Amino acid sequence: MHLTGSTPRMAADGGTRILEEKMAMKTSKRRFVVALVRAIAVGTGVAVGLAGPSAAQDAPRVPRVAPITIVINQSPWFAGFSAVVDAYEKATGNKVVLDVNPFAGSAEKQRNSVRAKEGQFDVLVMNSAWLAEIYHGGFLVPLNEIDPSFRIDPLVFNYDDTAYWDPKSRTNNAKTGQLYGIPINGNIQVLYYRNDLYRKAGLKVPQTLDELVANAAKLHDAPAVYGMAQRGARSASDISYDWMPYLHGSNGSIFRNEKEGDFTVTINSPEAKKALDAYVALAQKSGPPNPGSWGQAQVIQALLTGKAAHATPVIAAWSQVDDPAKSAVVGLIDAAPVPHGPGGKSTPTLGHFIGAIPKNVPRDRQVAALAFLRWFQGREAQIVYAKAGQPPIRRDVYDEPFMKTPPYRWTKAVLESAPNARMMYTVPEGPQIVSILELRLNQALIGEKSPADALNTMAVEIQALMRGAGYKSERLPDLR
Amino acid sequence: MATAASGAARREGGAWRWLTLAPAATIYIALAVLPIANLVVMSFHDIRWADGIARWSAVGFRHYAELSRDPLFAAGLRNTVVFAVLAVGAEMVIGFVLAQWVSRAGRAEIVYRTVFLLPILLPGIVIGAIWKLMYNPDFGVVNQMLALAGIAGRDWLGDRALALGSVIAVDVWHWTPFVFLLLLAGLQSLPQDVHEAAKVDGAGTWTELRYVTLPMMLPTIAVTFAFRLIVSFKVFDEVYLLTGGGPGTATEVVSFTIYRRFFTEDRMGYGSAISVVVLFLLALTIVLALAATRRARERAAS
Repeated sequence: MHLTGSTPRMAADGGTRILEEKMAMKTSKRRFVVALVRAIAVGTGVAVGLAGPSAAQDAPRVPRVAPITIVINQSPWFAGFSAVVDAYEKATGNKVVLDVNPFAGSAEKQRNSVRAKEGQFDVLVMNSAWLAEIYHGGFLVPLNEIDPSFRIDPLVFNYDDTAYWDPKSRTNNAKTGQLYGIPINGNIQVLYYRNDLYRKAGLKVPQTLDELVANAAKLHDAPAVYGMAQRGARSASDISYDWMPYLHGSNGSIFRNEKEGDFTVTINSPEAKKALDAYVALAQKSGPPNPGSWGQAQVIQALLTGKAAHATPVIAAWSQVDDPAKSAVVGLIDAAPVPHGPGGKSTPTLGHFIGAIPKNVPRDRQVAALAFLRWFQGREAQIVYAKAGQPPIRRDVYDEPFMKTPPYRWTKAVLESAPNARMMYTVPEGPQIVSILELRLNQALIGEKSPADALNTMAVEIQALMRGAGYKSERLPDLR
Repeated sequence: MATAASGAARREGGAWRWLTLAPAATIYIALAVLPIANLVVMSFHDIRWADGIARWSAVGFRHYAELSRDPLFAAGLRNTVVFAVLAVGAEMVIGFVLAQWVSRAGRAEIVYRTVFLLPILLPGIVIGAIWKLMYNPDFGVVNQMLALAGIAGRDWLGDRALALGSVIAVDVWHWTPFVFLLLLAGLQSLPQDVHEAAKVDGAGTWTELRYVTLPMMLPTIAVTFAFRLIVSFKVFDEVYLLTGGGPGTATEVVSFTIYRRFFTEDRMGYGSAISVVVLFLLALTIVLALAATRRARERAAS
């Protein structure tokens, strides 16, 4: 495997041309420039000196195919994916180049590649955040156009039909759509909680949001331990992703029925209000002093340093929980399905990834890419993936004996939640909707707006956005 | 005959001027005029991708009208102005004081100059990482130092009342060396005989500073101020790395809004409209700054 990739570069400001042109009058230009150059030379010269710089039979047979390039992001689960790629190369002799990027960088590279005349990447590892954009753009080739016999393995989780796309109805629909990819990672949220604190306090694992609010308040002992750590920050997708299981788990939604094309905005429903009230109550009663600035990194850090009694990060973060080099709470954290609201069920949000093949790469590379995806969904590959600490996308791997051992104590929570997992959105306007949610939810969390006001504002803004984009969209009456 | 000859020579000279100007003009048009023209054209369109093809639809002034309703743009513009004025103001004062001090430091000047220049040598990403750790409410060195003095620590980046000030402090730390360097060069290029004459006339330190140094330094100060003001208007990396524009909109700046709308939301048309407006405001700032510089220079000359 060959690794390549990029990191963000910050543009440096510089240049003294304007200054040189404008110096005049009593300040001699020449003397000034000489002094400036001398100052830079002496200063930087010295300063630079100081600073310095058992399942083999289950594996599908794979022919020798062209080398492929996969564009992917550096996530907590990347080590697992990388292990699978190594195993693929070893088993098949085929070559894979991984182009590894920061999360946002991967999205931008994929966008640029699919919009070019000929694409640079043969497999796109797409996060649910930009799945809609790529599907709607018509950049992908249906996998059955490459190989009419290819099917997604029935043992692979469905993940809300997200590997399928119906261009006519513009929805993810396995019945009417075509297969465009396979799940690469089943990242969903689960409730991480401190089993030692639970034992000590004699608490029951919460199933409802009310129980979670009560348990978090009981375990809150700031600043030593916060009852709850939340991703309350406003970013490309922090607080909206963190809050979404509360909304869906309370039978709330952004739209009335996105899959059926009903874009009536329902974000300001009484159910959504209850979900936001619970989220804000958790922050106020049991959170850190300024939860509105906490992103995923702070939440995971608080969990691993023993400063959080609960949090709902994605399951990919689990790989660090029992690693003594990274965690101060080895063996002290357990996982459960994310609690739900009244009458609801645990509904985590998909933060998963789909591997797909772009239209704009030559057919031999498309064939090679499909060979990799076919192998990836097999049992052998998924066992390698699970042994690297990542959640497999196949149900049968969860029955392996090693998956019943203590390091894999999260599997029950994932198995229970995964079938209910939902996408945040499926419309290409999703990133704009998330931008609205991020701002207004954050304002509710930090007290700039009341939950009702924040939800009403979101409803008005989302409706305007959808109408502007040509959808028929109504909204519920304002909450009081 | 002579008139005809001189006319031909003028035409030849004109052709030669155009010919020699052509390479620079071509580069300028290709790298500056065309991208800006493209940006302006994009700002009047909605650009969506379908079936692998970009579809442009004209929207007239809709994007510009939308700007007035965009909460992020309004907050970004407000914060950018506050950021630019406060950060650059502080940098100018501190930079000038340091430059004055170092210019009189004798042999130790090289050491001071080196130490003061260090922050500007660090890449923005490193500065972001360093200050994020320093500001950490739990284990950051800022709160630890306050604790030594018996003062309770604060959440410097998480508290909306403190966040913008904390980002400004980082910018001041980062860019004061640049101001210091320019002002030091300016001070060292001033004619010494005027200072000596002032001393002979009995001028004290303050009088000398007020009536001799500052008037002579005014053009350098004005240009440095204008240059920093323009650069600070484009602030992005510090906000991106430290706060992401939050909490709420406390540290949203206009460059970050453009990034968010253009790239994160993939709204190329609307992102272009914001860019065009910001470009206009920056151009206006430059014109005003240059006019102020010219006036300062004229005042200093008189």
